[in-house]
Amino acid sequence: MTGTIVAAHDLRKRYGDLQAVDGVSFEIAEREVFGILGPNGAGKTTTLEMIEGMRTIDSGAAVVDGIDVSQDPRGVKARIGIQLQASSFFDELNLVELLELFGHLYDRKVDAMGLLADVELTEKARSQVRTLSGGQKQRFSIAAALVNEPRVLFLDEPTTGLDPQARRHLWGLVRQIRDRGHTVILTTHYMEEAEELCDRVAIMDAGRIIALDKPLALIDALLGRGFSKERVERLANLEDVFIDLTGHTLRED
Amino acid sequence: MRWVVYWSLFVASFKMFVRNRAALFFSLFVPLLIMLIFGVLNFGGTTKISLGLVDQAGNAASHALVSALEANPSFDVTPGDRAGELAELKQGHRDLVLVIPAGYQGPLTSVSSGLVAFSNRSKPEQAQIGGLLLNAVVGQLLAGGGAGSAAPLVAVQPLAGRSLGYIDFLVPGILGLTLMQLGLFSVSFGFVQLKRTGALRRLFATPTSPAYFLAAQVTSRLIIGLAQVVVLLGVGLWFGLHLVGSVPLLLAISLLGSIIFLAIGFSIAGWAKNEDQAAPVANLVSLPMTFLSGVFFSRDAMPAFLRTVTDYLPLTYLNHALRSVINDGVGVGAISGDLLGMAVWAAIAFLVAVRLFKWE
Repeated sequence: MTGTIVAAHDLRKRYGDLQAVDGVSFEIAEREVFGILGPNGAGKTTTLEMIEGMRTIDSGAAVVDGIDVSQDPRGVKARIGIQLQASSFFDELNLVELLELFGHLYDRKVDAMGLLADVELTEKARSQVRTLSGGQKQRFSIAAALVNEPRVLFLDEPTTGLDPQARRHLWGLVRQIRDRGHTVILTTHYMEEAEELCDRVAIMDAGRIIALDKPLALIDALLGRGFSKERVERLANLEDVFIDLTGHTLRED
Repeated sequence: MRWVVYWSLFVASFKMFVRNRAALFFSLFVPLLIMLIFGVLNFGGTTKISLGLVDQAGNAASHALVSALEANPSFDVTPGDRAGELAELKQGHRDLVLVIPAGYQGPLTSVSSGLVAFSNRSKPEQAQIGGLLLNAVVGQLLAGGGAGSAAPLVAVQPLAGRSLGYIDFLVPGILGLTLMQLGLFSVSFGFVQLKRTGALRRLFATPTSPAYFLAAQVTSRLIIGLAQVVVLLGVGLWFGLHLVGSVPLLLAISLLGSIIFLAIGFSIAGWAKNEDQAAPVANLVSLPMTFLSGVFFSRDAMPAFLRTVTDYLPLTYLNHALRSVINDGVGVGAISGDLLGMAVWAAIAFLVAVRLFKWE
């Protein structure tokens, strides 16, 4: 790990009576895959959106690649890529047109076919987003978030609603992106996903971070407190059976 | 201002509109269909001969002739003075104008009765049928039913004039209607959809200001509106529209009208959270104007109080300005009242849009 690329200091956000984010701090190193876990309403998305410059920060500070988000949200947006939860695109444009358009929004000319090849959507280049399957939509959404070669990629629940094959495929894609030198911050509801992908995870509840460490360290700490499962852990689970029977390779639904 | 950003969003907005079948259907095909149906069926066209009647005699004989003509179901009689009725004839609002000269004493077989009917040269059928009918009516008043009278009793004298059909009334109305529908519906539906699905939020995730997108949406729709005007005028000409005014002036009026309705559309789109909220409001705005602003039927037939109120509707101004330029070929001066009314509406609608607009 090298230097810090994202730093959040005591971030807070209130919506009416609800303290959605209540003093969140963390630092993320370059080329790290950082996961934010937590139940619905824990404040994961709001935390991400404050760092991304998509929401104003009530108090505290977020710095991305040396830029204070509150001071220069556009400067931050120019350096990051954002995949929104359930993001949607203009229906009437095809994938290549959308990627080129998004490139222009960053004052860039993009290699649309190259980006589509990275997410294995070359054959859908002239299709509209609405004709894509759930997994294809998420992959396209990631391609659109990569048009500006971002320093940091934000993925908000990228695998929610995907079948096991599509989810595993997306994990592979996230690793590739990390290997190409991007830092990735993602939120997820799936613990096995966090365990597979994330170098470190923060677990949020009620607007606060209640644990932050490497997945294995968190598990060791739990065991260290004398935790043991009531049932004996099987060596495989139903998902392993499903993947074994239906195959590892991606199927387009 | 980053022109590349604006231009790529403009092209995208344009493509989005042109590829949206529903938008194309409602904004181009429906007006064409309305024009076709109303044009072919010729609603509003009357089978009666429109007769201007100028009675300069004012005696028993002339009154007998006037009552005979008014009683005749083939004529739609409008009394008036000579200059006024001849002007109406030239404008194409009368088929014939019959002048009963001072000192008229009834039809005579021996010498000319002095009756002259002026006809519109560009309406030869109406002139011919009307002339025959006039002669028949006057003949009835002759002693003996006019049998044996060889010479025509009424001299028909053709004058240069226009032949205004229903299409001439309809086309300006359809232009106004189309510009209103484009502004109101394509914006309130299209934009609200982008808002609801989150496509607009995705734009927020880039460093580009959303104002660029708004500018691209507005300008692309202005261009589409002007293109529609050109297409509809072309179809109108094919249907026999008499376009006497300046086309650049028409386009300028259309642009001003589009700005009003786009601003109203963005007010609705900016306020509404989804299409279900936007639809009733857009209809509430458009429906009264569709029927009260003189799109399909002349506002002359409306009760006076209703006419006074609806005089101030934006579509009334737009339709009146378009109609004056298309039918009468007037210049900016003659429609300055309409243009002022439209400018006031544009300013009001713009301010409302700015106040109500929310991105999310």
